[in-house]
Amino acid sequence: MNATPGNGFAPWLADDGPAADTGLAWLDSRRAQARAQVRDQGIPTTKQEAWRYTSLTRLLEQGFTPTAKATTPLEPRDLEPLLVPGLEAYRVVLVNGRFVPGLSDLQHLPAGLRVGGLAQILKSDPDALKDRLNGVAGETQPLFAALNTAGLDDGVVVLLERGAQVERPIELIHLSVGMDEPRVAQPRHVVALEAGAQASLIERYVSLGEALYCTNSVLELSLGRDAVLKHQRIQTESANAFHIAGLYLSLGAGSRYQCVNVGLGASWARTDLNVRFAGEHAECDLQGLYLAGDRQLMDFHLDVDHRLPHCSSRENFKGILYGKGRAVFDGRVYVAKDAQRTDAAMSNRNLLLSEGAEVDTKPQLEINADDVKCSHGTTVGQIEPEQLFYLRSRGISAPLARRMLCLGFAGEILDCLTPDALRDQVAEQVGSRLEQAPID
Amino acid sequence: MLSIKGLKANVGDKEILKGLDLEIGRGEVHAIMGPNGSGKSTLAHVLSGREGYTVTGGSVTFEGQDLLDLEPEARAHLGLFLAFQYPVELPGVNNTYFLKAALNAIRKARGEPELDAVSFLRLMKEKLKVLHLDDSLLKRPVNFGFSGGEKKRNEIFQMAILEPKLAILDETDSGLDIDALRIVADGVNALRSPERSVILVTHYQRLLDYIQPDYVHVLAKGQIIRSGGKELALELEDKGYGWLGAEEAA
Ligand SMILES: Nc1ncnc2c1ncn2[C@@H]1O[C@H](COP(=O)(O)OP(=O)(O)OP(=O)(O)O)[C@@H](O)[C@H]1O
Ligand SMILES: [Mg+2]
Repeated sequence: MNATPGNGFAPWLADDGPAADTGLAWLDSRRAQARAQVRDQGIPTTKQEAWRYTSLTRLLEQGFTPTAKATTPLEPRDLEPLLVPGLEAYRVVLVNGRFVPGLSDLQHLPAGLRVGGLAQILKSDPDALKDRLNGVAGETQPLFAALNTAGLDDGVVVLLERGAQVERPIELIHLSVGMDEPRVAQPRHVVALEAGAQASLIERYVSLGEALYCTNSVLELSLGRDAVLKHQRIQTESANAFHIAGLYLSLGAGSRYQCVNVGLGASWARTDLNVRFAGEHAECDLQGLYLAGDRQLMDFHLDVDHRLPHCSSRENFKGILYGKGRAVFDGRVYVAKDAQRTDAAMSNRNLLLSEGAEVDTKPQLEINADDVKCSHGTTVGQIEPEQLFYLRSRGISAPLARRMLCLGFAGEILDCLTPDALRDQVAEQVGSRLEQAPID
Repeated sequence: MLSIKGLKANVGDKEILKGLDLEIGRGEVHAIMGPNGSGKSTLAHVLSGREGYTVTGGSVTFEGQDLLDLEPEARAHLGLFLAFQYPVELPGVNNTYFLKAALNAIRKARGEPELDAVSFLRLMKEKLKVLHLDDSLLKRPVNFGFSGGEKKRNEIFQMAILEPKLAILDETDSGLDIDALRIVADGVNALRSPERSVILVTHYQRLLDYIQPDYVHVLAKGQIIRSGGKELALELEDKGYGWLGAEEAA
């Protein structure tokens, strides 16, 4: 029997649904294929490895409806409290999954950089996207990526031409605003850097209010030869939201990619990072920090595919859990038989501040080559009483001392964030989250 | 200032302090010497409120308050400071940030205004000079990757900033080279005043050449078994602790 996802996602699966006819034959056929895939695959259960620790029940029970094409009454000043103070960036803003030019700041883009809304570009220049949509994610996709493809209508496109080097970060803000009824937004982002291009991308998921909604985003990213990208993802969705992110990365020869993931928001968040090396001597650095408190689940899945020799990858994720918070870290590094000289190191460390908090951590190395340097390690620990006492003996209250130690633990990841304006804001968000944390 | 009467404390089932008496007056410097494992660090920890010890008897009064009733931070607010025998490393916790938080917590508890960033920096620069510390240490995590001697000097640096009423230095001289020893002694002497008292836990007479104690005590088997002036330290240097134990038994 092929169960279909709950009524929230059902509209996209009808062949005459809201997203049926785009006027682009190639796109319509990809969407039809994705719909068929979802229907054939059905809903994953916790018997499947990728969903072993994470139940979909609560998500699928929700009666989500697709986000309408409605424009937003928001004005630029409504956005102000959500900005990073002092951050200068080329800014592209989506509201409930739709590109809103009026809130974006895309004037004076430098030569070689193109940033815009996916729907617009599908209309004005579909050929620019024809090979890129599904180009990295592939034709066969897991459930949520396939749902995203089936419902695909808007998102952000960032294209850098060969050799273009952009100093100023490109900031993608995905803003969710509560509606009368729970909505699903399914933005599709396409980022491509041609050979030798360099850029910095800041992807932020924010909300106005604490509404219940679902973001099911997919980002396809490809780096050409020797391209360099620093990618920072800051997830601060509403405390009632569901956040799903599927990242598909293809790293060309000699390219360097760093992704700093910060997961603070949402009640249920699942992030899948899929990395495929497309050329030799590429470097991939995945850093992550997550916090989970009561009624909160943070789930990170990493799948790093070293299919070619001479590439390196780092996976370094840290979690702080309190109350009844739950986290899942499932990191897989695969090294193919011919991928000699692979250098991979994976680490997942967790700090549990309460007895009710829980983490399932599962790092896996699958190594089929013999000349490689690979390591992995995980820890799950508590605050060291000695350290706590040291701080308290200096007059620092126990709650502040705990917070300082947690921030110290998180510091390694926070320090990866650039520029300082972003780092400071996130550090403050982490600090205030910890301040609210009920610590035994 | 500090009055300890018949203090008994256990670690687990084991009694470490077995009825210890000690009176420290304002402005006095007391040295506590004694064999390894005799309970010197235990005394320092019990006074500063570390977990893991059970007080089974006696009392400790500090500045008119029942010290044993207070949380560790409240003891610090009252003016107690412990320079640890083994300072703890705090990876990721910036030294400057830590010290500022500590100083301002203490000031706040005393009803004094918090120091702003500029005044705090000025204070730090001044104290760094006294302790011949490199300011790069300030940007590093607390004690993290510090050499043994740097850790000890960092303890004294913290003391200089926090200006406690009673400082307990637990073997701060151990592991210091000769120059560092003099620097640490200068730091302690700079703090000496008719208002402030110091307890020096040490194994070596040398420190007492630099910081002249008013009293010297011998702690053995959980009790103060002998007290005297600074000449007692010289005598111990000469004869060790054996004669005291023998004397006691007799
Ligand atoms: N946490 C503990 N668990 C078990 N025994 C302990 C613990 N802490 C202290 N002790 C014991 O208590 C006794 C006193 O230890 P303490 O550290 O106070 O000695 P000390 O006088 O400071 O010695 P030293 O000169 O070597 O520093 C020792 O026998 C020690 O092993
Ligand atoms: Mg000791």
